[in-house]
Amino acid sequence: MKKILLALIPLLVFGLIACSKSSKNQKTVYLLNFKPEVADVYNKIAKAYEAETGVRLRVATAASGTYEQTFKAEAAKSNPPTIFQINGPRGWANAKDYTADLKNTELYSHLSDKSLAISVNGNVYGIPYTIEGYGIIYNDAIVQKYFALPNRATRFNSMDDVNSFAELKALVEDMQRHKNDLGIKGVFAATSLQPGEDWRWQTHLANVPMFYEFRDNNVDLSQPVDKVTFKYSQNFKQIFDLYLNNSTTDPKLLGSKQVSDSMAEFALGEAAMVQNGNWAWSQINGISGNVVKAEDIKFLPIYIGVNGENKQGLCIGTENYFSINSQVSPEDQQLAADFLLWLFSSPTGKKFVTNDLGFITPFDTFSDDEKPTDPLAREVIAWMAKPNIYSVSWVFVVFPSQVFKNDFGAALLSYAQGQKTWDQVKSVFVTEWAVEAAHADQATAAK
Amino acid sequence: MNEKKKDLAFFVGMALLSIICLAPIAIVLINSFKGQFFISSSPFSLPDAKTFAGLSNYLGGVGKIGFWKAFGYSCFITVFSVCAIVLLTSMTAWMITRVKSKLSKGLYYAFVFSMIVPFQMVMFTMSKIANMLNIDNPIGIILIYVGFGSGLSIFLFSGFIKSIPVDIEEAAMIDGCSPIRIFFSVIFPILKPISITVAILNTMWIWNDYLLPNLVIGSNYRTIPIAIQYLQGGYGSRDMGALMAMLILAIIPVIILYLVCQKYIIKGVMSGAVKG
Amino acid sequence: MQKFLSRYYFVFTAITIAAFCIAFVIPFLAGIYLSFTNFTTVTNASWVGLENYVKAFTTNADFLNALWFTVKFAVVSIISINIISFALALLLTNNYRGTNAFRTVFFMPNLIGGIVLGYIWQLIINGILLHVAGVDLTYSAKYGFWGLVVLTNWQMVGYMMIIYIAGIQNISPDLIEAAEIDGASPRQILFNIKIPQVMPSVTICVFLTLANSFKLFDQNLALTNGAPNRETAMLALDIYNTFYGRMGYEGVGQAKAVIFFILVAAIAFIQLAITRKKEIEN
Repeated sequence: MKKILLALIPLLVFGLIACSKSSKNQKTVYLLNFKPEVADVYNKIAKAYEAETGVRLRVATAASGTYEQTFKAEAAKSNPPTIFQINGPRGWANAKDYTADLKNTELYSHLSDKSLAISVNGNVYGIPYTIEGYGIIYNDAIVQKYFALPNRATRFNSMDDVNSFAELKALVEDMQRHKNDLGIKGVFAATSLQPGEDWRWQTHLANVPMFYEFRDNNVDLSQPVDKVTFKYSQNFKQIFDLYLNNSTTDPKLLGSKQVSDSMAEFALGEAAMVQNGNWAWSQINGISGNVVKAEDIKFLPIYIGVNGENKQGLCIGTENYFSINSQVSPEDQQLAADFLLWLFSSPTGKKFVTNDLGFITPFDTFSDDEKPTDPLAREVIAWMAKPNIYSVSWVFVVFPSQVFKNDFGAALLSYAQGQKTWDQVKSVFVTEWAVEAAHADQATAAK
Repeated sequence: MNEKKKDLAFFVGMALLSIICLAPIAIVLINSFKGQFFISSSPFSLPDAKTFAGLSNYLGGVGKIGFWKAFGYSCFITVFSVCAIVLLTSMTAWMITRVKSKLSKGLYYAFVFSMIVPFQMVMFTMSKIANMLNIDNPIGIILIYVGFGSGLSIFLFSGFIKSIPVDIEEAAMIDGCSPIRIFFSVIFPILKPISITVAILNTMWIWNDYLLPNLVIGSNYRTIPIAIQYLQGGYGSRDMGALMAMLILAIIPVIILYLVCQKYIIKGVMSGAVKG
Repeated sequence: MQKFLSRYYFVFTAITIAAFCIAFVIPFLAGIYLSFTNFTTVTNASWVGLENYVKAFTTNADFLNALWFTVKFAVVSIISINIISFALALLLTNNYRGTNAFRTVFFMPNLIGGIVLGYIWQLIINGILLHVAGVDLTYSAKYGFWGLVVLTNWQMVGYMMIIYIAGIQNISPDLIEAAEIDGASPRQILFNIKIPQVMPSVTICVFLTLANSFKLFDQNLALTNGAPNRETAMLALDIYNTFYGRMGYEGVGQAKAVIFFILVAAIAFIQLAITRKKEIEN
């Protein structure tokens, strides 16, 4: 009995230490992080920030696809997050009880383009902190190998010749026919459709047809969009089919594929192309056995067969806005603002942002040589600077809810497995949009 | 001769069943030594030169989810909650069994009633109250476990105490012992077998519990089940290798505990179930 | 004696009662109240009457699907678990060698937590489906269903087996000996003596498996998390998703939880009634 009691003492001590650590009345900034892929970086930042200023930075990261749930649970607590993130107008509508006005913060004054912020009636509720771009990432080494093939069926000599869906399709299908010559398992990496891993399709790919639909109808995106027709659904289908049919993976198996599987296939040289954004660099680079050279990684726009798309560029935008919780004490709000300013303007903070987080920031505190140097970020910057090319903005920030995206993703999976027709998928998109938009409006109105 | 053959047939059959029974754990163990991209595509093959990952899954996974910290929280919460439950509920059960009053009867039925209420019924309000009272930390959660675990424990203790003759206690009272002394030097030792049952049933529950700690303390303190669930989607994408390794690490303490006290565990389950 | 003890009544019970109130009584009552209100945090509730209960069924078919899935699952797993565990118990109460070791092995999976179990079986079932059919668990709700059945069998058979063993060992050997002397076949002994004699254990096991199947959450979350398209979400998971899935639906989630509670309570009372009746008969 005595022995057991003795063994319990260290445990008790452990528990007391663990609890006292958090109950200490230290100045604390509590950041709820939206990007799981940089969770580790934030832990490093927290250490550096505490060392420099003595203020503790506590970071909680929501698992992917659960940010809304986590925010809801955390915001209701007695120690709610002081900094959190909203993903656009729709996200702001959900969280508007919690967003403080940021127009007098110093960070806002450094925002180079004030129109990027989320502002309503002259008040600023969200400051964007990173500009991101996505498209089709390709491995130039494999593509060049293809161009060197004597018996290929296309006449392209460089990727500059590929400016439309028809051309992309011809290229991809011929590359798939020569996959053994090229030493790849398939042109496209697996179309990961595991629930929670399907955002590249239900959100990012769907953005392109919706961009054109909204443009055709002159939709005001600062307001909730209650109804859509999915006018370009056939265009979505043809690019999605291209991904599925010219892939490393049998479409039936996509339900257990994850983004990391796709990125690994690309990094190991098993696939020539993968749809993703500049944030994926760390994933490609971090895979052991990575054979892709940095200078071979390039971006191609996602062409879906719309008129005039030869002038289309990458999908550029942000769904990352920092907000400060208006329901915490003014001191805590100030601490939060101080941290954000430190992160985006102090030498230490900026180093983390540029080198570890890899953010292309919209703040004038960053000089040109402080832009991230990874190949994908450089490609994004280069595409933005191209003359006569228009970027596809991120209209998916008005998608009604996570539930909508998940349902659409599940429908895409069923389609890939041959269990749903395309018409059914389209009807899921249209009806779920209307249903979820109504839910979201109701919830917003109820407040 | 026939008997011997039967014996052998029985033994072989059971051995085969045992292998099937243990195979899932063995498969996870094998996969925990493979590189993360070779797991879902061929889970049943042994690692070869190309797929063997050594201990990297273990080292990587331990760092990623903070396994030792999670292990510490799990141990702390389980050990102290179980101690508190055994001590506090046996005291309560003794009182409400021996003092026959309306209050005792009401309490007894309230405790028994709580056993049938599914956790989903109270999960939201309970985590909210825990937060408002500032008991959403590894020490405070012990109180919650005492409250939520009291139903079954008091039911088991009461059943046992009813079978103890009151004479012993009365004799001790006449000798001039206080109730506290009577409880600790007379009753508590008699309760030992049922205490073990209560301790085992609660250990199995609390050690493996996911939703309650996740809702109450999950954002700050991760126990092992929470840490494993977090690995699923918490880092942008799931690392299958680390997942396999962490599953093994989560199972090992359970197996050790089981092998050390299997006699008590099986007995405890028997008497617990017969009464529950 | 009573008076002597009652002076110390609250010394002995206060902490437990306080904990019980905090963890159970207050949340339970608040939960019932909140199911008739709209709320996002507990403090901002506004009365809406039965609206949440209507919404639980009308917003979408999820709740009814989950209910139906849970019932089907409960029926199948109750039958399979009890048959397998009773058979094992019969085999392991014959005096063969090694029975203790086998009992130990079969019981072990029961100690592993639901989350861990779910991921173990996800790997294995996906592996098998990949080889046999070239698909995975998300392909069809049918796979998720049988996956859950296999998983719960693996977990609970050992536990039920132990209870049946206790039941069988309680049968007086004289009874069986007498039957053997009368020339009864092993089959007759099984159906006319062993099974009627272990009926109390059967009742216990059936209701334990029933309650466990109804409340299953961790395994469901880890194995399928509802995929494909929430078709394999059981009641507990559906309630959890309603609560935390989107803003403004906490009231509906709480209403679903109350319905769930009434269901589970009804099952428990039926069990109680049956046990009582049996006790009187005996």
